[in-house]
Formats: sequence, structure tokens, C-alpha cells
Amino acid sequence: MATYKVQIDDVVRDATPAEVAQIEARQAEVEAQAEAAEARAVARQAVLDKLGLTEQEAQLLLGS
Amino acid sequence: MGVPSGYTSAQVVQAVPTGINSALVLISATTVGSAVASVTVSNAFSATYDNYKITYTGGVASTAVDLGMILGATTAGYFFGFGYIPWASSITSLTVNNGASWAYVGGANTALTFISCDIFRPFASDETLITSNGANASNGNFGGGYLNNTTSYTAFTITPSSGTLTGGTIRVYGYANS
Repeated sequence: MATYKVQIDDVVRDATPAEVAQIEARQAEVEAQAEAAEARAVARQAVLDKLGLTEQEAQLLLGS
Repeated sequence: MGVPSGYTSAQVVQAVPTGINSALVLISATTVGSAVASVTVSNAFSATYDNYKITYTGGVASTAVDLGMILGATTAGYFFGFGYIPWASSITSLTVNNGASWAYVGGANTALTFISCDIFRPFASDETLITSNGANASNGNFGGGYLNNTTSYTAFTITPSSGTLTGGTIRVYGYANS
């Protein structure tokens, strides 16, 4: 199990097993969200490629 | 009103009428330690203020990360919409849909930490709302969300999406209710 230090107000100490689990769960969730965003970006690029549009042209069309 | 000896006119502060309070009151300033994976600020929220501003600047992270936040010990029911706009590109969105934290309230890298968020009614026994704005060397960003419960909170915890945080100060301010 990885070790972490946590801070409670002005006190820094080693994380308890429960705190380690919480930290790693939150990190895993953010990683999954980032991977989902990356997948959306890849899918968007695939559509643009199919249409023969550049990213700039897509922005002009869609405003985003 | 005359200018006291040793002061220029620009430094004269007018008397504040009775009943006028400062709008933003510093509640706590927590100095972050070295290489910590989370920082909890206890006793941040109370019945004195409905709404709060939280900032975290002056620190560094071990790598480029998002900074997330939870209230109390709650690790479910967080909703957050986040968008960031790179200087030379279009907006990208990230969402937290009933997640374990408000995962994108701020950011940090090896040069800086940045959180500037407002939290609305965390101590009250109703849903808590949050808004945030941020920036770094590559983009501007913004977000907002809520926590889907009616729990009253006094504390919050900031956690990087990976790695650790070192240094800087987390400041909590209360917005005067009147």
C-alpha cells in the first residue's frame, strides 16, 4: 500500500489506511474522468477527419 | 477632515459609520506543510456566515494536477461542471456526475497552486453550492457545482489529483451576512 502524508489544520501525519483508500479512490475517479474526456476528444477528431474539417473550421461552424 | 502629520491625503481613511461591517472577513489562514496528499481545514464554516470564499496560493505541487475538494467526510453526491480554455484552442469540458469530490476546484503545478472558489451555505442544512474560477500558464477555466445532501459542514479537505502539495496558504473568508 502506498504511503501518504495528510495535514489536518497545522498537524502533518501519516495517512491512515482509510484515508489512503479515500485518496486513491479520488485519484482514480479523476483519472477516469480525464480518460473519458480524452476519448471524447479523439471521437471529435475522428468526426472532423471524416468531414474533412480542421479544428478551426469546426469552431467557426459550431462556436466552440 | 485634516491630514494627520506623516500621511498623504491618499492615505486618510474615513471613519466607518456604525453598523457598516467589512464584507469579507478572514476566518483562517492555514500554511500547507511539505509533501502532503491532502489538507483539511477544520472549523472553517459556522453559523456566523452563510457564504465563504476560499483561496489557495503560494504553494507548489509535485506535478501538474487538478485540485479537488470534499466537505467533511462526505465522499459521494458531488456534481461539478468544469471548462477550460487553452489560449490557442477551444473549450474543453469535464464533469463530475455524482462523484466522490468536486474534482476541479483548482489546479497546481511545480510552480504554483491556485484555488479561488466561493461556497454557498455549507453550514446550513441544505444543499451546498460552489463556483470557481482559475488560470494557469496554459488556460483560463471556470466551474460550478453542488453537493446533493442536506448535511451541515464545518470542515473541508483539498486533495491533488495525484502527487503532493507543498507550501502556500489556504485562506478562508466569510461573506458578512449584513
